[in-house]
Amino acid sequence: METNGAAETVDLSVTIAGKRLANPVGVASGTFGYGSEYEDLIDLDSIGALYTKAVTLEPRPGNAIPRIVETPAGMLNSIGLANVGSRRFVTEKYPFLSQQTCAVIVNVAGTGEDDYCETLEYLEEHAPLWGYEINVSCPNVKHGGMTIGADPHQVESLTAALRKRTRRPLLVKLSPNVTDIAVIARAAEAGGADALCCINTVVGMLIDTKKKRPVLPGVTGGLSGPAILPIGLAAVYRTARSVKIPVIGLGGIMTADHAIQYLMAGATAIQIGTANFVDPNVTGTVLSGIRDYAAAQGLRTVEDFHHLMD
Amino acid sequence: MEHRTVLVLSNRQIAKDYFELTFAWPERVQAPSPGQFLTIRMSVSFVPLLRRPFAFSRFDARTLEAALIYQKVGPATAILASVDTGDSLDMLLPLGNRFPVPQPGRRPVLVAGGIGMGPIFFFAQELLQSGVKPLLIVGARNVAFTPSMELFDSVDTIICTDDGSRGFAGTVVDYLRQHAEKVGADAELYGCGPTGMLEALAAYSTESGFPLWVSLEQTMGCAVGACMGCVVSVRGPAQYARVCTEGPVFAAEEIVWKQTAQRKQLT
Repeated sequence: METNGAAETVDLSVTIAGKRLANPVGVASGTFGYGSEYEDLIDLDSIGALYTKAVTLEPRPGNAIPRIVETPAGMLNSIGLANVGSRRFVTEKYPFLSQQTCAVIVNVAGTGEDDYCETLEYLEEHAPLWGYEINVSCPNVKHGGMTIGADPHQVESLTAALRKRTRRPLLVKLSPNVTDIAVIARAAEAGGADALCCINTVVGMLIDTKKKRPVLPGVTGGLSGPAILPIGLAAVYRTARSVKIPVIGLGGIMTADHAIQYLMAGATAIQIGTANFVDPNVTGTVLSGIRDYAAAQGLRTVEDFHHLMD
Repeated sequence: MEHRTVLVLSNRQIAKDYFELTFAWPERVQAPSPGQFLTIRMSVSFVPLLRRPFAFSRFDARTLEAALIYQKVGPATAILASVDTGDSLDMLLPLGNRFPVPQPGRRPVLVAGGIGMGPIFFFAQELLQSGVKPLLIVGARNVAFTPSMELFDSVDTIICTDDGSRGFAGTVVDYLRQHAEKVGADAELYGCGPTGMLEALAAYSTESGFPLWVSLEQTMGCAVGACMGCVVSVRGPAQYARVCTEGPVFAAEEIVWKQTAQRKQLT
């Protein structure tokens, strides 16, 4: 590969809550398992941050099948937070994750404040990693997830309760399925969040006209993929202008240009989700594209991207 | 598993809507086994978005050629049908588990329905090469959907069509029930095809006592075990198993058929 002299002077490391990420390109929760699944395909050390599959206190089998369906330039999923639960996370997943050099951020989900707190306490004690991403935005569960994330009072209360239980970076992942994401963002900030992740999937549905029923058994699912890029960008743009803490952008990023748009909208880092399914090497491609753009534009840090539209 | 760009050697129609695509096996990649699959990125644009899974239908260790058989049914497979010799394809391969070898003393009976023929043909070839002669039963709607493969010359092959336009008139399970003498007393069954056929085959397995292995399909996200999207319903506390990594081959007795009956959505 051709080396660009200018690109080497670009420092793309970012800092969140005083802790460093080697680069701003992360892999989104739910699309990358617990990391080991992709070990054969990509160099995990090259990832800025690995956000794990959601961990709940008890194991969850997940939702009825089918769970995914392709949509125009996107996909709908209704996985239902299928995961091994906190105890097996500690015994089966933590040993591998703790060996990684990239930042590992554990996505924590629950049904109410008590079990979110219990899960986080358990992880703090048995599986200390880089930080936590609090999932208050899953659209595919009856309790918890988005039902909490749509209510600023619950978001603030939950964030404050979790804040008391960890000094590690606490990121809150927000839903786009709200009237004004800035209200929820400010509630999380008031509760003590270190950063916000925008956005989780967008509620959507698809109907099978032959069978005359919704394609997904739970009727709706979460839309992801390039179809939601403009929704994520608008959410990040608004959120970044509503809070003082860093915003991590995700939603529909397939290319370096998409990621650069998020950085220009105000994101300090980004996450790549559905694109991992399409191209397992996408994180590397996106990172080198960001580096090339920074070099070509004379940008030295991620912060510089934030002022490009000033 | 590896992520490679592979060279297409041929892409020819073998029956109504069915095509066989052959490609050069990439260097330093573990040889595929019958039952395993690959995924292909269908487009560099975002429609269709997700990679599509296809089972291996052949592998020649001498010429290092591999093949898959697909049905042209939707936009993604229409793109595949337009691929020419010399084109390249973006593949993840090989993925998933394989058909287990038959237990000692058991005779393999391989049952294919429709486009499920690919992995069954591959397994038949592997068995032949290891000196085992399987019984091969291929079911289709009608003669138009039945290919003529070289394989049929060297394996005891029964073609079944729903309308009787080629071979036995009836389903593959009708054939098994009516031809106990052909099946023998020590069969081990292997099936790939529509879920309805596999469910009927599972019922036959239960009543006959012959063990049955099935290769299943489900709409796939990552294909590497990360997304939990491609699950099927199984017995036991986990309730679901991933087709991409715990399958695609399962013991039929593990499967909860009622919940698995919903067909995949991707074409």
